[in-house]
Amino acid sequence: MSPTSGTGTVAEDTAPGPDASVGLDEPEPVITPTGRPRRRRRRLLGLVVPALLVTVWALASAAGWVSPRLLPSPGTVVEAAWAFVAGGGGSTLPGVTPFDGAAGRHVGASVGRWLVAFALAVAVGIPLGAAIGLSRRTAELLDPLVQALRSIPITAWLPIALVWFGLGEGAARYLVFVGAFFPIVIATADGASRVPGALVDTALMLGTHRWDLGRKVYLPAALPAIVTGLRLGLTLGWMSVIVGELTGTTSGVGAMMFAAREVGRLDHIIVGMATFAVVGLAGDVLLRAAARPFVAWSDR
Amino acid sequence: MSPGRGATAGDLAGAATDLEVRGLRKAYGAVEVLDGIDLSVAAGEVAAVLGPSGCGKSTLLRLLAGLEEPDDGTITLGGQPLRGPSATHPMVAQGATLFPWLSLRENLAWGPRAARRPDADAVADELLVATGLTGFADALPRQLSGGMRQRAAIAQVLANRPPVLLLDEPFGALDAQTRLRMHEWLRGLLAQRPTTVVLVTHDVEEALLLGDRLALLGRRPSRVLEYSRVSFGPERGRATLRDPRFVDLKVQVLERVLAS
Ligand SMILES: Nc1ncnc2c1ncn2[C@@H]1O[C@H](COP(=O)(O)OP(=O)(O)OP(=O)(O)O)[C@@H](O)[C@H]1O
Ligand SMILES: [Mg+2]
Repeated sequence: MSPTSGTGTVAEDTAPGPDASVGLDEPEPVITPTGRPRRRRRRLLGLVVPALLVTVWALASAAGWVSPRLLPSPGTVVEAAWAFVAGGGGSTLPGVTPFDGAAGRHVGASVGRWLVAFALAVAVGIPLGAAIGLSRRTAELLDPLVQALRSIPITAWLPIALVWFGLGEGAARYLVFVGAFFPIVIATADGASRVPGALVDTALMLGTHRWDLGRKVYLPAALPAIVTGLRLGLTLGWMSVIVGELTGTTSGVGAMMFAAREVGRLDHIIVGMATFAVVGLAGDVLLRAAARPFVAWSDR
Repeated sequence: MSPGRGATAGDLAGAATDLEVRGLRKAYGAVEVLDGIDLSVAAGEVAAVLGPSGCGKSTLLRLLAGLEEPDDGTITLGGQPLRGPSATHPMVAQGATLFPWLSLRENLAWGPRAARRPDADAVADELLVATGLTGFADALPRQLSGGMRQRAAIAQVLANRPPVLLLDEPFGALDAQTRLRMHEWLRGLLAQRPTTVVLVTHDVEEALLLGDRLALLGRRPSRVLEYSRVSFGPERGRATLRDPRFVDLKVQVLERVLAS
């Protein structure tokens, strides 16, 4: 550390210098060097079983053990996926639901529903969760209702959503909202109620205004819990998208899959499932990456 | 944030003020904790509070910090009645509480920023030097050792140059040699910034090394059994521990604590 002159700090000569404690206090160096390669190897390990399954699937298809009507070969599915993305191939599903070259349209429609409804769930869920977490009164008033409503399966909301919002976009968005809403409310309430009172006290004793506590103390302290709720909500919202696309719409990955079922195009259905997996995973990865700078402090 | 006001480093800062406590009572439900505490600490004095575990030392400090309301009695700072928690009489709680999501530098700058002082960063840097933690400016609290965190937590509230400082067993969780270093560090720090301090401790040696006054609390519901002046020259440090008069005093006080 720099030799300070004039200021005559006590620390310089009486406090334990930082250098004296560096070696003992810093656990980081032990963990970091081994962390990365191990993580990469673990990631590769995760691919072994899927690769094995695909191999068995390919062999079974080639040997004719399974009927293509029950399970098309991996090659057929890959071709369909390519057609879905790049067009060509000339297979169009009945009615008005296109398949070839329609990946952008369907994914766009599904993701649009997902994000609009998710944003709404965040906008309502976080304030409501905060109110439940911070006020005993509000919790007593609303918590039983929240607990009861969240036990209703998403599919059980479909009929009433259709009545309320009609076929199509409105019902789909409503279902995504319901799926995303409860995890966000519950995680936010939990996070807010666990903010240590000592931190709030400290902030006040440092001259923080009461009306700044929410932004400066509660929000950052509860953020790791909130982010967990957002991730769950995002995933559950995405899972609810397909319920909203069961009926009344011709756009969306789910709509495509139900249209494909009517004509028995299993390859298209599998492409749809894979699309759900990839998009859902991508959403989670993006959310995690976006949240990381704000919650990294709470990593173990 | 008007340029005229808040520009000086000494805005909140001030000279130490005296602290007067009269007939302070506090009960939690049926549990009577404080039964009429009287205490007067002159400006710039350090009052060490000793007492058996569970007698209400932390409760007393929380009342002094304005974090809780007494059932009866008065607290005045510099003649003004105390009103709620504020930056003029902060408490450092048992188990340092730094904001875990902020770097050490940001933790130290919190107080000056809350006071809208433009020199917040400079204050934080100065405190980093004063705590000997310049190398850890960007570290998160969890990356610091217990002793480092404790120093940082004290520095954090000193950033606002409070006239009164309340410390609840600040070094209780530290090992003996670290504690000794911290005593010297704190003495030095307080010598530079005259502050009225109430220091709660269970360590007689600590009370005698740091205190100008010694308040002995009895069992719950507690009162101040003794309030005496520690007359042991201003030069108290490592060497003092070997001074036979100091050792003698320590034994005397220890016996009185045990007797209470
Ligand atoms: N918020 C509270 N609600 C109910 N009882 C409390 C509360 N805070 C403290 N008490 C009780 O008040 C008494 C004094 O507690 P306090 O923490 O002030 O003691 P202490 O002297 O600081 O003890 P220690 O030396 O162990 O830190 C204890 O019996 C405790 O159970
Ligand atoms: Mg205590």
